[in-house]
Amino acid sequence: MIGSNFSLGITILLGIVILALGVFFGLLYLGIDRKLVARMQGRIGPPIRQPFRDVSKLLMKESIIPDDAISWLFKFAPVLCLMGAAVLLLYVPLFGQPALLEGSGDIIVVLYLLIIPALALVLAGFSSSSPFATVGAQREMVTLMSYEFPLVMSVVAIAWHTGHVTGASPFLFSTLAAFPIWGQVGPVGIIGAVLLLLVLLFIIPGELSKIPFDMAEAETELAGGVLVEYSGRNFALFYVANAVKAIALVAIVVGLFFPYNLSPVIGIGAAIPATIVDGIFFLVKVFLVMFVSVMVARAAMARFKIDQASKIYFISSTLVGLLGLILLWIDLVI
Amino acid sequence: MAAISLAFWNPVVCLVVFLVVIALIYLLRSRGEGGYKKGTEQTKAFLCGEELPEVEERHVKAHNLYWGFFQALKKYYDPTIKAHTGIVNDYVLWLTVITVIAAITFTLV
Repeated sequence: MIGSNFSLGITILLGIVILALGVFFGLLYLGIDRKLVARMQGRIGPPIRQPFRDVSKLLMKESIIPDDAISWLFKFAPVLCLMGAAVLLLYVPLFGQPALLEGSGDIIVVLYLLIIPALALVLAGFSSSSPFATVGAQREMVTLMSYEFPLVMSVVAIAWHTGHVTGASPFLFSTLAAFPIWGQVGPVGIIGAVLLLLVLLFIIPGELSKIPFDMAEAETELAGGVLVEYSGRNFALFYVANAVKAIALVAIVVGLFFPYNLSPVIGIGAAIPATIVDGIFFLVKVFLVMFVSVMVARAAMARFKIDQASKIYFISSTLVGLLGLILLWIDLVI
Repeated sequence: MAAISLAFWNPVVCLVVFLVVIALIYLLRSRGEGGYKKGTEQTKAFLCGEELPEVEERHVKAHNLYWGFFQALKKYYDPTIKAHTGIVNDYVLWLTVITVIAAITFTLV
């Protein structure tokens, strides 16, 4: 009994540490993102620690609730959004270690949890009673509907192939870590896996409402869209949620496609140094995925219109994902 | 975990985690400033200085709710919507045609 309570206590403590690290690195990467994109566009940009200052400043500001808003929903939506993003962190492998709740849910649960922050944004927009926010919420919903199918297809394709080849539980991140996709496929399968990776890289900015898929916020057009009426601590929660979701989302891509650790390669056997090396290596991988899918895209492209984004996700990305899936299947057959 | 072959989750753990995380978030939220000036200009929804329409008029109409999605799939939806005439005779005709095709298919297979 004492042992079980001790184990539960350690798990809760680890969970809180993971959440704290998720928030810290989420905001840190947001700062790096803003700095690098600014440099790419020939601007100086804010200091890397700016997101931390933003959050502390927002916590000091008034949290205004519009007169005609649905007050309880308006206040609960940011909590729900951050909750969805934070819980994700506990179900995905981070810092080269297995997910804390690996035994309590698999990749399918992660796919469902991914929907919560987006739905919370939709609720926030519709509860705001602002014309800008309702248009933003409508766009967020359409974007969500458009990228869900290719997202699920890509993830399930990788899991299905790995499960089929290895006979192990297909929807576990630990299975994908033990049998990385690149080691299970031939030349045809590699092309298929690359296509599925491209689809996921393309979905990341949509999930995070980043340019070119930031139609729901669209500062220059909707003045912030879904979040136009948010301020103070309620806006701070959305701000942190977005940063946490970025880390969780990229960690999913890393877990699916790059689940490698550095310590076995350079021959570090001791537990603590290996954990540190693998943790740093994970952060490097997260940065590289974020750099390609978020930063470069944001610096180089302009915002799509909502129907263009929907077409790109629901038709183009789905077709590319389907081609990737077919190539993986062909790889199994030949 | 070796016995698990397909998707699984533990809803009790998930629910407990939800509650614990929500508690932590409310703790963080409580650190922020909660007050604001009720009944002043700052509580009016922002619309670039334009006069706000009535509350009922501010929402996206139901037929526009999925606009971007319908627009993207226009080539699919246009003929599909056209086929839904609302005339019972047309639906019965569709049913008959589909039944005949299905019967022929099953007979051949």
